[in-house]
Amino acid sequence: MTWIALTLLAFVMGTLLGLRVSSPLSNPTLVATVLVAAALLLSHTPYEAYRLNVQPLSALLTPAVVALAVPMYRLRALLARQWRALVFGGLGGTLLGVSADTLLPQLLLLSTEAQRSLKTAPATSPVALQLAQFTHAPPVLAATLAVLSGLLGALVLPSFLTLIGVRHPLARGIAIGSVAHGVGTARAREEGDLTGAASSIGMGLAAVLVTFIVAFLG
Amino acid sequence: MTTPPKSVTRQLPQPVRFVLGMGILVGFAALGTGLTTLLHLPMPGPVVGMLLMWAALSAGLVRLHWIEDAADGLLGILGLLFVPATVGVIDYLSAGATWGLWLLVMLAGLLLGAGAAGLIASRLVRE
Repeated sequence: MTWIALTLLAFVMGTLLGLRVSSPLSNPTLVATVLVAAALLLSHTPYEAYRLNVQPLSALLTPAVVALAVPMYRLRALLARQWRALVFGGLGGTLLGVSADTLLPQLLLLSTEAQRSLKTAPATSPVALQLAQFTHAPPVLAATLAVLSGLLGALVLPSFLTLIGVRHPLARGIAIGSVAHGVGTARAREEGDLTGAASSIGMGLAAVLVTFIVAFLG
Repeated sequence: MTTPPKSVTRQLPQPVRFVLGMGILVGFAALGTGLTTLLHLPMPGPVVGMLLMWAALSAGLVRLHWIEDAADGLLGILGLLFVPATVGVIDYLSAGATWGLWLLVMLAGLLLGAGAAGLIASRLVRE
């Protein structure tokens, strides 16, 4: 019970910090993770004990993944009108992202655990977490790397896209969402409604594509 | 999305509408899990549930206002729900400097993927 309370309050503190400091690093998930991790380390509580304690919270992830269909459905008019740019752009981006995240760890001779976990980084964390049972990645590493990938994307992608001349809000949005999912989409929304909507679609398509890649290509 | 004035679900108190939405969302996750088991699909049940939900919304089998309270509530705190998983990094702190390499790999994936997506979409966008 205590750990659930601490996790909830740490998330609220992270959200409050995000209201004060506008940076992708003042992300509620990141702040909550750091605070709870520090509390576990200081109290010498093993992670397994914590995990069992907060299981009720994790149980809500299942309906939350299903709920991802709602923003996609709301944006159906945009998807119908711009499907060529959104579908080809989004799928192309996610495919290249997953390929890099699969091949580079092999070239760099990273550990098997890291190789398996990095592969799903372009998918939103709850989906990366669910996919871990099929990639045989340690679930915590897959989820964490996905969060970090989103944070990193939110930090570097807006200026990178400007640098390579991607200016259309729709193109910027789909680019950010296709590899930097949730945190990236929050950042994309700051650029405008169209960028945010395109990023949401990119995040949904990426979740589906990464699932299919894992299912059929291993 | 406008809710029809005659809708029965409109008369439900908001907390109960939330419960209705949760019931449907969890039901679709269960449906997805059942389907993956039945067809031996190597996919997570909830992701299949999401695809089924999208299809059901598009087909008009599920009305948006039945589930939107619950869906928006859950998605609004999505970042909280995987904190129990990300806290598990404390078991990987010993990886130390390797974290730098992992970040570098992800950076490469991000730049390549987003770069490609942005350039493709720029060409195909309809004005």
